[in-house]
Amino acid sequence: NMALRELASLEKYLGLKKPNKYSTQGDKKVPVLQNNNAPPLVGLVTIACHLVKEAKRPELLGDGAEGRAVVQQWLEYRVTKLDSHIEDTKSILKDLNLYMQDKVYLAGNQLTLADVLMYYGIHSIILDLAVQEKEQYVNVARWFDHIQHHPGVRHHLPPVVVLRNRLYTSRHH
Amino acid sequence: MELFVSEGNPHCLKVLAALEVTGVQCGVQFLNHEGKVVPFLPRPAVPTLFLPSGQHLFSSNTICRYLFELNGPESSDQCNQWLEWEATILQPALLRALHLAVLQGKGSEVPKVLQGPLNVLDQSLAKGSMAYLTGEAVSVADVVLWGALHPVLSVSSLELTKAWFDRVAAVRGCQSAAQKVLQGKGLEAMKSYMQKQPAPQSRDTQPCNS
Repeated sequence: NMALRELASLEKYLGLKKPNKYSTQGDKKVPVLQNNNAPPLVGLVTIACHLVKEAKRPELLGDGAEGRAVVQQWLEYRVTKLDSHIEDTKSILKDLNLYMQDKVYLAGNQLTLADVLMYYGIHSIILDLAVQEKEQYVNVARWFDHIQHHPGVRHHLPPVVVLRNRLYTSRHH
Repeated sequence: MELFVSEGNPHCLKVLAALEVTGVQCGVQFLNHEGKVVPFLPRPAVPTLFLPSGQHLFSSNTICRYLFELNGPESSDQCNQWLEWEATILQPALLRALHLAVLQGKGSEVPKVLQGPLNVLDQSLAKGSMAYLTGEAVSVADVVLWGALHPVLSVSSLELTKAWFDRVAAVRGCQSAAQKVLQGKGLEAMKSYMQKQPAPQSRDTQPCNS
């Protein structure tokens, strides 16, 4: 299950020592976090935000009400648009490419949970892109490359070569 | 701060209700469905909240959560869970139900399509003995779910859900938000909005029995 692997990687990234117990529920295999002394928590974003609070890393959820809203916005985009397959892949890449034009991270000026979960969710799409498409969505490619090289984020996913120039420019010029 | 909404769009009902319930000061502009508000989204995205910093919030649940957090505490795990459930489980079923009822005149099939999600809601309300979904006070989860279900709940027969629904409806501001978006015309008010939505995919057309 993809969501459970993501949560395991997130736990490692957050440095949580005690692994949590998970199961899934329903046709859509929604992740469930089993809590010893509280009711179980259901849903990828809900559980991920809970883990971030458990790890005492509030900066990963954004700064202030507005910063938190922008992080939540992209977390919601991840589980509704990216995961539902209602929108086609191209329109998602177009949205993100235009949005990322003048940005380094999805929300604010530092890495947040929105970057981490979007990176996990979009990995298979980027992996399948042809070279020309990676050039077409260059802002997404640049962001993706930045996040996959962020210390401790990548974990369960193979690295993807997204920026050709990075590898060849020095040789040709 | 400026909120862009349109008539007949059920997501606008949620954000207008959240705005009235929280009492946050904010300008409201009604647009037609083609209104393009968010510069980086090629499709119309209504509702959208335009923040003074220049940021756009373009999804209804995020807008509702932000409005509640402006005057109150951060959204709890329980609230987060209901908002995620609403966006990922309830909304796809609602889209199918509204498509049937508003565009195909098959309102009688709505209960079957919504049975699964409404059972989840009903069981949760039965388990807790609280007045609202997450406690004794109305929360962002109540307003979002009430707004989402308002157009179709007249066809539901689940009693606990109905009691909760009526309790939220009685919260000051909820009814006037519904009036602004649906204009007292019920499902008919959503026709032009629904005509512009993508048809639900075939793999999603089976009733949800989870």
